[in-house]
Amino acid sequence: MSTASQPIETTRGAGASLPIFPIWLGILGIMLVIGLVSAAFVLIEGLEVTNLSNEVPWGLWITIDLAAIALGAGAFSLSAIAYILRVKSYERIARVAVFVGLTGYTSAMLALVMDIGRPDRFWHPTVYWNIHSVLWEITMCVIFYSMVLGIEFGPLVLESNLVKSRFKAGPRIAHQLHRLTPVVAIVGLGLSLLHQSSLGATYGVLVARPIWFKPSLPVMFIVSAVAAGAMFTLAMTVFYETLRRERVITLQLRNSVAAFGGLTMLAYLYLKLWDYLATTYYSHLPARIDDLNLLARTTPYSSSFWLVEVLLGALVPAVILLSPRLRRFDAWVIVAGVAGRGRDHRQPLERDALWVDRAAGLVAGRGGGLPHQQLSTRAGRVGRGDWRAGLCLDDVHAGVALPATLPG
Amino acid sequence: MLIDLKKCIGCDYCVYACQAINDVPDDMRWNVHFVDKTETGNVFHITRPCMHCQDAPCVSVCPVVATYVREDGIVIMDYDRCIGCRYCQVACPYGARTFNWESRDGASGYQAQWGAAEVERRARGVVEKCTFCVHRIDRGLANGLVPGVDRAATPACVNICPVEARVFGDLKNPDSKISRLIATQPTFRLREDLGAEPNVYYIPPEGMSL
Repeated sequence: MSTASQPIETTRGAGASLPIFPIWLGILGIMLVIGLVSAAFVLIEGLEVTNLSNEVPWGLWITIDLAAIALGAGAFSLSAIAYILRVKSYERIARVAVFVGLTGYTSAMLALVMDIGRPDRFWHPTVYWNIHSVLWEITMCVIFYSMVLGIEFGPLVLESNLVKSRFKAGPRIAHQLHRLTPVVAIVGLGLSLLHQSSLGATYGVLVARPIWFKPSLPVMFIVSAVAAGAMFTLAMTVFYETLRRERVITLQLRNSVAAFGGLTMLAYLYLKLWDYLATTYYSHLPARIDDLNLLARTTPYSSSFWLVEVLLGALVPAVILLSPRLRRFDAWVIVAGVAGRGRDHRQPLERDALWVDRAAGLVAGRGGGLPHQQLSTRAGRVGRGDWRAGLCLDDVHAGVALPATLPG
Repeated sequence: MLIDLKKCIGCDYCVYACQAINDVPDDMRWNVHFVDKTETGNVFHITRPCMHCQDAPCVSVCPVVATYVREDGIVIMDYDRCIGCRYCQVACPYGARTFNWESRDGASGYQAQWGAAEVERRARGVVEKCTFCVHRIDRGLANGLVPGVDRAATPACVNICPVEARVFGDLKNPDSKISRLIATQPTFRLREDLGAEPNVYYIPPEGMSL
């Protein structure tokens, strides 16, 4: 239909006359102001304003941090295709992906600084190393990977007319950086594989949280990040094309990236299916079943899993991107990218936190560390404040039950 | 520490003494009390300090080593190093950690009746937890006292207990009172299945068989 840098044939008569780009910048500006005011509010007043509590110490916030990092997944996977596998046609979208990744990582780091209790100590992980902590590994990876993105993005800035006219050496430095690209892409690939997976491990290693505790989480995180990263990068590219009313990638590339994203999403669904079957259907770990039952009883957990996560978040975007008829339409590609992105694997955690919050502390940010009919009625009676005792009740039950089952 | 659930009467003295000495407000209690029932229907009281696990999940997840297991087995925090990420809070199986969501004005309110605060109040933005009154232990040991024997070197919750349900001492010393009790009495620990190796033992209440 179109080739690179060609104007889009406008089919939306009325919309064509609107100055879409300035309007979009205006919207971004308003959101930026809201963000800055909120950030100041949090930094001055403290995390008290977030409504997080000792029952729900990690809530939606951490999900947003993690989701922003998944934006970067497009950067590493598409860069790897372009610069390591040397698929030339992908270079165009890899550049977009690097930019989207850079925004994702910087916003994640800024959000994390807001999310920790002592923003003034954000640098501590770089000095006080705990190599046994998944969170430490992620922090270091994210810092190094941001540098990688900077090196990958640098040439674009240095070669821009704005810089070139003021800084004569710019293009030369850009050229040198360009030559580093394959090496940088390999380093970036390694770093990304590490931390995109260990974001899942952050939850997966918590032996005390049976819903989260499973070895599949790191794998599902990396696969969903690759899928969502590619889909979101494509959506952003198409969105940009719509704003500027010109094509920047060829239809062929667009189809190729769409298929890549769609197929990876299907792979993710396959893993997800077996994760569900293995941990919920074919096996019965009492603590996990209790937690899931409690969530299902007190929250719309089951329906949100099937409708929002599986159907809307994964299946629908995959179908859109794999259907040659549907992916022709800009709007559908954007919808798919945003839906897939909104889904990726962080969502279940978000739901845990969110529903759990709604359940008035019944299951508490324990992400479902909890259980027991008896417990929930009791916790309901004593109210949120004393809920901590609830957790311990369970521990006592388990602690008491376990020795009874052990020989000797 | 050993807590005898046969003796505990649920008076909450240990809860309040802890809140006074360590200056802990009501919504951040380090040491909590709740009531439960055995399978045979016996009502019993149980209190839960930090378990001071030897393979503590909170310690291994901390990205900055702001919490660690001391040589003597006590798990403590470095409040000056904590960045407030709350990963330890999410990782603790026992809910033994609390976070300073806001800065606090004034004392916890228990000092008049239960004793003066002996440690500094923690700043906004860091996690805190039970220390087994480590300030008393360290000062006591420096002065040749024995924790668990000499009151000045013993945690506030242990000293205050009117029925002596709590026993404190050196688990590494086979001749200490606590070691002898554990060797001779049936005891259990909470969630041993998680492998954290908690250092708080419980003597089961009447009507509970191990």
